[in-house]
Amino acid sequence: MFEYFEFNIAPWGWEITVYFFLIGTAAMTYVYAAAPAVFGDVFGGIARSMEPFQKTGMLAALVLLLISGPLLIVDLGVPERFLYPILHFHWTSPLSWGALFLPLFGLCIVGFLAALWFNRPQLLKPIGILGMLLSLSMPLYTGLDLMVHQTRELWSNPTIPVLFVILSVSSGTALVSVIHLARGQFDARTFEFLHWFLYVALGTTLALFLGELVTLLYGSAELQQAWTLINERFWVQFWVMTFGLGILTPFLLMIVTHYWKSARVLTLAAVLAAVGAFFFRSVLIYAGQLTQIYY
Amino acid sequence: MPVGLQAQPSLGVPGKKRWAMVIDLRRCIGCMACVCADKAEYDVPLGVWRTIVKVKDTGSYPNTKRHFMPRLCNHCDNPPCVRNCPTEATYKHEEGFVLQRYERCIACRTCIAACPYNARHVLPKNRDRVKIGGVIDKCTFCHHRVAADLVPACVQTCLGRSRIFGDLNDPNSEVARLVARHSVVTLKPEKGTAPQVYYIKPDRVHTEQVLSRPVSHAARADAEAFYRHNRGTQFFSGVL
Ligand code: SF4
Ligand code: SF4
Repeated sequence: MFEYFEFNIAPWGWEITVYFFLIGTAAMTYVYAAAPAVFGDVFGGIARSMEPFQKTGMLAALVLLLISGPLLIVDLGVPERFLYPILHFHWTSPLSWGALFLPLFGLCIVGFLAALWFNRPQLLKPIGILGMLLSLSMPLYTGLDLMVHQTRELWSNPTIPVLFVILSVSSGTALVSVIHLARGQFDARTFEFLHWFLYVALGTTLALFLGELVTLLYGSAELQQAWTLINERFWVQFWVMTFGLGILTPFLLMIVTHYWKSARVLTLAAVLAAVGAFFFRSVLIYAGQLTQIYY
Repeated sequence: MPVGLQAQPSLGVPGKKRWAMVIDLRRCIGCMACVCADKAEYDVPLGVWRTIVKVKDTGSYPNTKRHFMPRLCNHCDNPPCVRNCPTEATYKHEEGFVLQRYERCIACRTCIAACPYNARHVLPKNRDRVKIGGVIDKCTFCHHRVAADLVPACVQTCLGRSRIFGDLNDPNSEVARLVARHSVVTLKPEKGTAPQVYYIKPDRVHTEQVLSRPVSHAARADAEAFYRHNRGTQFFSGVL
């Protein structure tokens, strides 16, 4: 009965997991939509394949931002103080930086849309570049939000921000593929463009997944505890949803699409990779909290 | 100064105070008077604690032992909770207290995530008498009492004199003498937090991470019932 004390509530629930996922997806969708303006003719002009997607992509990024921003705010215990991280800025907290960059990222989306709307093509490139930097900062800051907790060993790992950037590439590619498929806009160049991004994202995710495994298997006492927790409470999310469904299956589908260029199969692979991206993050966030909550 | 803190660590700095606590586990009888005193001093709501006494049973009948271990905020000299707070709502006092500005806290719970000792909690929003709610709270080493030359409420009430409080920078204080004479232990020293609660003779079941999970079936059943009834999930979602 006394052990009752040991149970506390873990700080971050589903809102944070969903927020991390959505903001990462919004960031990568922005990158795709701004790619023609920013990269133009480099790499053989392949980014131009995204030209018909510019407006839709920006609108999709805006919608995601309009969902994830308020989600983050209502998750606060005192939502009406949501501007405090900017007003009382603390430079060592990634959350403060995130709070600063998030509205700026929103402004870039609106600015890009306005430049498209009012036909100001000369503005697209500078806004696109600025917005791409800010969109990179979105998954980066969420990863740093975990990484800076040097006392939580599952999190205090320099690969976490990189992993979050890569996972956002997967989920962004999924959204872009679904929109392209739904609007019947897939052509050979779009296919090639998205295929390449998904390959890189999946390959890097697999490498980082294996790296995480090695860290867990050979790690400290706390990591061993995390490993036990993952295999007890989160084994479906970790092994089935992340590894099986989110990494291995899309890889197999990518091999299929290498020979049989099917936009549907590519989209399916991307959606599965996005599912994996969601669960990978959520397992890391949840298991990382429990070790200390039990302490 | 370690990055992100508002005051230099004062441990060993001449002319400054460094408040600390020694907990002599040879004397703790697990009466929980300290927990009650703390609840009374701050009107700590149901389900959350500023200080606890962890209990672990080891062995099997008839060779069993019950271990007690009072726990509280360690008022770390290099506190990660302070460094990570996005609003500087939690800060370090120059005499070593790690304190909370309720009027600034947004309850993002980053500090809970940052604390390796599970020493922080969220106050429910609607409380009967005390107006402060919806923000993070923690042990303050009874800053208001210490400022009035009193010892913290838990120390005052500890009937085994297991909890001893004082200025570690004063070589004649009881805490300084105890820390000097005994092979004291701090929790998770490898995390670099420089905790300022020193334990005399703790048991491994209480200090080691791999042994830290709750073991008894009754405890788990109890806790699960608590979450089902009050919050529905062990993760913070819609608690406030
Ligand atoms: S014990 Fe936790 S809450 Fe207290 S100062 Fe250290 S890190 Fe902060
Ligand atoms: S919950 Fe409050 S004290 Fe804790 S990090 Fe957030 S703003 Fe700071």
